[in-house]
Amino acid sequence: MNREEILSRSDALHERVQRFALANDGDSFDAIACDIARFQADAIPGYRRLADARGSLLDDASALPAVPTDAFRLTRVAVHDSADDVTRFVSSGTTAEARSVHALRRTDTLERLALSWGRKALVPHWPARRVVIALAPHPGAPATSSLGFMMRSFIASLDGRALAADPAGAAFDPDSSARWLASPQGLDAEGVRRAALVALERQEPLLVLATSFALVALLDGLGGERLRAPKNSVVMQTGGFKGRTRTVSPGALSSAIARAFGIDEARIVGEYGMTELSSQAYEGTLADAELSGPPSVYLPPPWLRIHSVDPVRLIRLPPGEVGLARFVDLANVDSAVCIVTKDLVREVDGGVELIGRSPGAPLRGCSLTLEQLLPGKAAGGAA
Amino acid sequence: MTEASVPRIARVRRLLDAARVLADPRTALGARARAELPAVSGLSAENVARALSEVLEVDATDGDLQRLLATVEDSPRTHVLLAANVFTAPLRAIALALAQSPRVDVRPSRREPLFTELLHEASHGAFRIVSELAPAPGDHVWAYGSDETLESVRGELPAGVVFHGHGSGFGVAVLELDDADAAQVTQLSAALARDVVVFDQRGCLSPRLVLVVGAEARARQFATELAAALARHHHDIPPGPLSSEEAALVSWYRDTFTYAAEAFPAGKGVVGFSPGGELTLPPVGRNVHVARLPDPVAPLEPWARAVTSVGLFGSEQLRVRLAGVVAGARLCAVGQQQRPPLDGPVDLRERTRREVL
Repeated sequence: MNREEILSRSDALHERVQRFALANDGDSFDAIACDIARFQADAIPGYRRLADARGSLLDDASALPAVPTDAFRLTRVAVHDSADDVTRFVSSGTTAEARSVHALRRTDTLERLALSWGRKALVPHWPARRVVIALAPHPGAPATSSLGFMMRSFIASLDGRALAADPAGAAFDPDSSARWLASPQGLDAEGVRRAALVALERQEPLLVLATSFALVALLDGLGGERLRAPKNSVVMQTGGFKGRTRTVSPGALSSAIARAFGIDEARIVGEYGMTELSSQAYEGTLADAELSGPPSVYLPPPWLRIHSVDPVRLIRLPPGEVGLARFVDLANVDSAVCIVTKDLVREVDGGVELIGRSPGAPLRGCSLTLEQLLPGKAAGGAA
Repeated sequence: MTEASVPRIARVRRLLDAARVLADPRTALGARARAELPAVSGLSAENVARALSEVLEVDATDGDLQRLLATVEDSPRTHVLLAANVFTAPLRAIALALAQSPRVDVRPSRREPLFTELLHEASHGAFRIVSELAPAPGDHVWAYGSDETLESVRGELPAGVVFHGHGSGFGVAVLELDDADAAQVTQLSAALARDVVVFDQRGCLSPRLVLVVGAEARARQFATELAAALARHHHDIPPGPLSSEEAALVSWYRDTFTYAAEAFPAGKGVVGFSPGGELTLPPVGRNVHVARLPDPVAPLEPWARAVTSVGLFGSEQLRVRLAGVVAGARLCAVGQQQRPPLDGPVDLRERTRREVL
């Protein structure tokens, strides 16, 4: 395919996905997924090889060949040439290994869809306005972090006013350092206090967009202090502690965050996304929001399917069985519509529970067998 | 003559004599080893037979043994904690211990104690098999296993014990194919395949990564011929079963490189080929990653501490440069990585040196 044909087919698919996702135009998820897969196989030799190796005709959305997320580390995963990139999202890996890169030719589909589902999960029916801050570093311009890009969109769309008690007449700046309260130098706890006071004075909820690690840093910074924040505030929490020196159990972290903000734990809403995806899933725990579901169950939007699959054959497992997370994300028009990760999930109640990561260290060598030496330890793990 | 008065080299030779009994399929113990080891080692019967006949280090020269003796110091008592990844490994581990001390206690792998038991029987009790080790200050402990296990073991030993830990690692082959002809490439692929097949890459010497310098067509020829050689061995030396976790990693690796570069089927395994030089470590089983690089030395540096063995086909200049990076790895010809001489510990890396706790 030449460049013009690629861009033309891509644009048509973007429009189709947006109509399906935002206007519910009666199109079929399966049909769109297969059309995107065929487009990607026509444009990306690697995906054609994968389809051929799997013997797939790309005519069954439930059996599309899944691209392992490691491919985003090792090669370019895109239908288009790098000259047409408008941004490249880079994963936040903390090891010496190469990071995943997700190249995007247009970001409007991702942004509109992220906002649409984010609203349903994070925004209560009332009141209409809120104060939004991010416990994350500024994503740069253009954004190199998919999470930062999404946070910036939320700041602009769900708040959109100056961070002041009386924003009337003041200029709105989504890139203000008062909004982005984490940096390599640490977390700005004083900035969180200021934003919480602004929300109190406006009588609006505070929406805090944060990684788990940043929340731990905030708790450390507060040193047990309880913030003065509106009772109807919401915390969006995402990510784990990969490569970090300090980890906190999810239950303990939720309790501590709720205590610090003076909110119910149900107002801490988990988000599940990744660099290689364009769509996100959320917990539906916020009682006065549109999305509803039990804690720890991440609910995907209608344009994203998450299935638990057998790690060897990559076929879907029965509900309740733990397997690798396989995603079909219609918003990944220009990269990989179907990916598989090493995240372990279990399908429940219309969503998935995130169980952990598939084991398998990069270096195994002589590490297959564990032996124990001293009395008292022998019963634990025979080789 | 008491055990303590037996010369060190005689103790090692006695163990080698026992190993020869096991290597010989005509002996009762040799037959028993061939009959029973497949079930406990996870290897096919053909692979067990080949390892006993061709890999077990029973042909050590006097020079090898003198060098082995020179690597260890006398000890009142020596303790050996064995892992189960390579069933023949107890021979070298116990030989080192006997070179060091007339009193050797061995804690075999719980999953695969059989080879140690057979060696014990064939050597008429040259060492003791114990269920737990109880070292005293001044004793030496040789432990084999994962890095995590070694760290745990080390942390629980009493002060004054001399600790030798041998942990995780893998083998690499480095090939300069610029001037190689097609026949040489074929020979190299066959030689490397033999080293991949034995033990199904569960040992720390097994080659899993090949760095090729040369034209892309030559590198691809090597990768495809290696895959073909491995596929042939699938029939004459079948692979053992993989765990579900291992099979999942193979599937992941295969799909990743089918997409990101190229992946050639190799029996139940796969040979991944990166003409652009991307490096990764494939899972165990019979999987090899072949990467074409303009210079293999610098990209190897981040991996150097885990490299135990380098199969080399190339210039003396390359050998010298590699030796500077993978210090302690055994450098040898391609196809000889699984057959290091019995001249000391198999793993010579810096981090395996003795440590007084």
